[in-house]
Amino acid sequence: ICVWCDLESDSTPHGSASSRFMVETLWLILSFGGPWIFQCSFWCVGVLLLMSLPSAPLSDFMVKVVEVADSSQQKTLRGHEAPVLSVAFDPKDEFLASACCDGSVVVWDIEQQTQVISWPLLKKTNDVSNARSLCRLAFQPSSGKFLAVPVESKVHLYGRGSWDHAATLSDDLLSQPINVVSWSPCGQFLAAGAVGGSLTVWDVSSKLCVERQKHEKGFSVCSLAWHPSGRQLAYTDTEGCLGLLDGVNTSISAVDQKADKDFDDLFDDDDDQLMDEGLSDSRSPAQKRATRNEDDDEDDDFRIPSTGRVKNRGAILDDENSLDTASLKFGEDKPADEEDAGGPVGPAAPPLLPSRPVYEGPLPSLPQKAFQAGSTPAHLTHRFMMWNSVGIVRGYNDEQDNAIDVEFHDTAVHHAMHLTNSLGHTMADISQEAVLLACPSTEELASKLQCLHFSSWDTNKEWMVDMPKGEDVKALCLGQGWAAVATSALMVRLFSIGGIQREVFSLPGPAVCMAGHGEQLLIVYHRATGFDGDQALGVQLLQLSRRRKQILSGEPLPLSHKSYLSWLGFTAEGTPCFVDSEGVVRMLNRALANTWTPVCSTRDTCKSKSDHYWVVGVHENPQQLRCIPCKGSRYPPTLPRPAVAILPFKLPLCQTTTEKGQMEEQFWRSVLFHNHYSFLSASGFEVDEDAQTQSEKEKQELLMKMFALSCRLEREFRCVELAELMTQNVVTLAIRYASRSRRMALAQRLSEIAMEKAVQSQQEEPEEQEEDLQYCSVRLALSLFEELTLQQKLLIRFRTVPAVFLCRLCEKTSEASGCFQVSATGKSSVSAQPRAANILDNMTSSRKSTPLSGPAAKTSKSPVLKPLAPRPKTKVPERVRKFRTPRALEDREHGHLPKTGFQLWLEENRKSITADSPDLDETEVIREAMGRFRVLSAEERLVSGAGARFSVPEQLKMFDSINLKLSEPESGVSVATIKSPDQWSKDSTIHHGNGDKHLSYVLPAAEIDKFIQANATIGEHFHQEKQHSCSGRTERKYLQLFESFLIMNK
Amino acid sequence: MDPSEVEFLAEKELVKIIPNFSLDKIYLIGGDLGPFNPGLPVDVPLWLALNFKQRQKCRIIPPDWMDVEKLEEIRELEKREEAFTPVPSPYYMELTKLLLNHASDNIPKADEIRTLVKDIWDTRIAKLRLSADSFISQQEAHAKLDNLTLMEINTIREFLLDSLNCMYKLRSNLQPGSSGRTFTDF
Repeated sequence: ICVWCDLESDSTPHGSASSRFMVETLWLILSFGGPWIFQCSFWCVGVLLLMSLPSAPLSDFMVKVVEVADSSQQKTLRGHEAPVLSVAFDPKDEFLASACCDGSVVVWDIEQQTQVISWPLLKKTNDVSNARSLCRLAFQPSSGKFLAVPVESKVHLYGRGSWDHAATLSDDLLSQPINVVSWSPCGQFLAAGAVGGSLTVWDVSSKLCVERQKHEKGFSVCSLAWHPSGRQLAYTDTEGCLGLLDGVNTSISAVDQKADKDFDDLFDDDDDQLMDEGLSDSRSPAQKRATRNEDDDEDDDFRIPSTGRVKNRGAILDDENSLDTASLKFGEDKPADEEDAGGPVGPAAPPLLPSRPVYEGPLPSLPQKAFQAGSTPAHLTHRFMMWNSVGIVRGYNDEQDNAIDVEFHDTAVHHAMHLTNSLGHTMADISQEAVLLACPSTEELASKLQCLHFSSWDTNKEWMVDMPKGEDVKALCLGQGWAAVATSALMVRLFSIGGIQREVFSLPGPAVCMAGHGEQLLIVYHRATGFDGDQALGVQLLQLSRRRKQILSGEPLPLSHKSYLSWLGFTAEGTPCFVDSEGVVRMLNRALANTWTPVCSTRDTCKSKSDHYWVVGVHENPQQLRCIPCKGSRYPPTLPRPAVAILPFKLPLCQTTTEKGQMEEQFWRSVLFHNHYSFLSASGFEVDEDAQTQSEKEKQELLMKMFALSCRLEREFRCVELAELMTQNVVTLAIRYASRSRRMALAQRLSEIAMEKAVQSQQEEPEEQEEDLQYCSVRLALSLFEELTLQQKLLIRFRTVPAVFLCRLCEKTSEASGCFQVSATGKSSVSAQPRAANILDNMTSSRKSTPLSGPAAKTSKSPVLKPLAPRPKTKVPERVRKFRTPRALEDREHGHLPKTGFQLWLEENRKSITADSPDLDETEVIREAMGRFRVLSAEERLVSGAGARFSVPEQLKMFDSINLKLSEPESGVSVATIKSPDQWSKDSTIHHGNGDKHLSYVLPAAEIDKFIQANATIGEHFHQEKQHSCSGRTERKYLQLFESFLIMNK
Repeated sequence: MDPSEVEFLAEKELVKIIPNFSLDKIYLIGGDLGPFNPGLPVDVPLWLALNFKQRQKCRIIPPDWMDVEKLEEIRELEKREEAFTPVPSPYYMELTKLLLNHASDNIPKADEIRTLVKDIWDTRIAKLRLSADSFISQQEAHAKLDNLTLMEINTIREFLLDSLNCMYKLRSNLQPGSSGRTFTDF
């Protein structure tokens, strides 16, 4: 059993920072043994010299008096016939008054434990819960001359000793029963709180009402306490709220002074000064709602309205800690200990304040105030106004100085600045271009926005804008070339960085926070009222680029339960990100329909519960969460200067202790953190291609690892699922892995996936592939094949035949007769290989024949090509080149060495070389020749190569023409064109500009063979070149071109 | 060995700095350093940190142990213990001196730290002298001293060796019959 008691209102002097202090002073004082419970004493606010603990045992209806110092001495006052409502001590400790549900008000002699007098003043009820009024009695302090008894809407005063009815205090406007009365410390005034929330103060001597107030919510007042100075009145209501009535009876200061002396030992002068300050600072004499007792925002300092100045952080932190430890529960919630008492008590416990039916549904939570991400609370005298990736803005607001310090992380941006803060700026943002400051409005001055545009090239580095009257800046942010301000008028105003006013638009709710990055603006606002400690926030993401658009249009922001937003911003790469008070970092996943993914929980890395990480920045590449560790607080102090720590990200996937979970987490994190590449390139930024390919590689490696793991675990279905996430070339690796570990069924399925992927990518990126030289070459091969098969009416059959087979077919047909009319050959070759339709078999067989090449399994359905189509609509995957049979092998197979362009040239020019330097031996001749050959212009080389030998397969005339367009993104356009025979003339054979990476072929279709030869020459050349010089992209492509033609040629 | 040489060795110790410039990784013989991101702590050798500091390119974050409370603890322990206690860093004296001389503005309570480190140093040196004294007076052949830093060894080495030599000479001369022999220094 526990006793809750408000010792006394010693913290009311901190008038400003709130009645929260009072809540803290509720103490768990004593715990007694025994099967009885104390009722409601924790509602009592008042200075009690001797703890009086009215008991409400339903069984014996008695009052017990327990001496605090010695709890063994108990006195029992018997005589009540119903539960006791309240008790009051005489200041001289002789008497005790009690009110009871049986309608009587009794005065007892404590010593003798007898009734002195009893008045039947109240209405009879059977239980405390049914009583209309709580009837809290009060003796006049110090002298104890009067006992005040609330009787309905009046207060009766009885003289001490005589117990005569001395006076009645009443107010015409007061119609509800009075719950509680309380004497001012001087004894001159009497305050009464009534059902319905009326607060009335009478001057006892004149019996006049001097003050009337009404609770703003109309909740019944159930307890009252005066501040020792007599100027403030604290009260609680039945809904568990604590309120403060300010500025009561200022006319009685003389009396107050006297009263103060009594409390000198309790309050020192500072407190009084502080209180006065608080009083003068306070917004109005009106009531301020302060805390909601069941509130979860114990550690949320800045949400509590506070007008006073807090001397240092320490106070706040202490406050927080003490609240953490004292878990306070009011209202309907019984103290936990009380419930523990169990037994006869639990069910019998009368509800504390039964004056009206109690609403038990979800309670609205206090809406979060607007804040700047990366700032510490405004009430601190030394605070960070902004800490972001660009710099730090610090605000000082103490006795000597009211100033702002701006410091840049990179001194190359700008030197540090020191500004006097005469306007009282409270908000700041800083970017590479400017510092933006804003202050709220004061009584005379409008809310101002000030911009220090230090990157301006003219001499005016500063501009200032006044907000319209009555409009306050609530949040602000800077982007690239613009600034945005959210105001109390639910508007967002955009400015250019030079100070031009731009768009204005309305927000659906009060802004909470804003963030800008590049051309993106992120706004979080109150969407609705949250309940039970949750905040209902909405988020908008706007693109302010030339084509403006709203990417997020007011979706709810997914915060953790009972938390609020604590940081909002973008990653350095431009992905929106936010942190809630639970320390969960969430990032926008653009690839998953703009959902928010939790990427890190900073609380997990905290050592103790009161430690926090204060986030200052998020980077995606490298993956870094930059934050400041704060020991025992939410915010870092300005001194000593805090150092940034880096936290890793971790997606909250299941079972991350296992290898599988780990890899899954890594993979999805990698996927998430590389989303920005696609976003950046989509919005027209340059993307670091190396990093991108690196990240892609990393992803695929992880997939491959997971694939291998699943393989080991005999999870073939999982393997296939993984393969679906892979890119084509990794799938081929997977196929190889699968077939090597003798999982043919798996390999079979994978090959199907590979095919699907090929088709998919073909549909997805037709234009991109246009650039690919290699593609074109294969396309050429395909068209060849197409024509052939069309003729042979085997098209359908061949659609799924892999390119390698195709090439081999070409090879075969051309070899057999050098002509395409050998339909029989084609047919037989197909029918002779019934497996050909089976890609896997084909692949494995091709692997057998080409042990050194990759086992690519890429095929594509080959829609009929329009020969002159400028833009090919099909695409054959890169991997085709892997079908290349190594030359040496090929040569061995065919039993002859095909002559390269160089060889041909060498034959022609050997004489001249030997003539020039007759004493060279064979190798030296070749070396020399090679040197010369390389010096030759490409054209010459090609001519020499192309002219060397060709036989024209007439059959190729069935091609009218084939056009190939090849272009390379970085080096202009390379074009290979094959034209119809009549367009061909000897002198426009082939142009090949090597130096400027420019390639142009003009060839008759009929001379396709020659083209092949010519390409063979180029290829050979590049083979050599590659060994000697750098291997650029172009070169590689030529090489690939060569290779694919080589295949065809065979 | 010169104290400056010891100091030179100490300059290889890594300290954390917060640069105010950005620079890619730099590749040095001793190892790769960086990349330097403004506002982000990075580990660099002391010599580089001091160099940057002198050019006002960085802010030095003092090592963990360079903290009044921790040093007080160490000092108390050092005073209490008979033997040498482990020091926070093998180059604590050098680091303190260099950091306090060049970057005292980045170290909170620099003066207190200086005093504390000096106290620790004095205590240790006193212990060292004491043990040297007992070593000599008891005419021991060998002694083992744990947790000594290079600087401390270096401080006492010359004096101790010289005096041992000296005493050896003197003692040999006292022995009858040994006069006239020549002595080699060791």
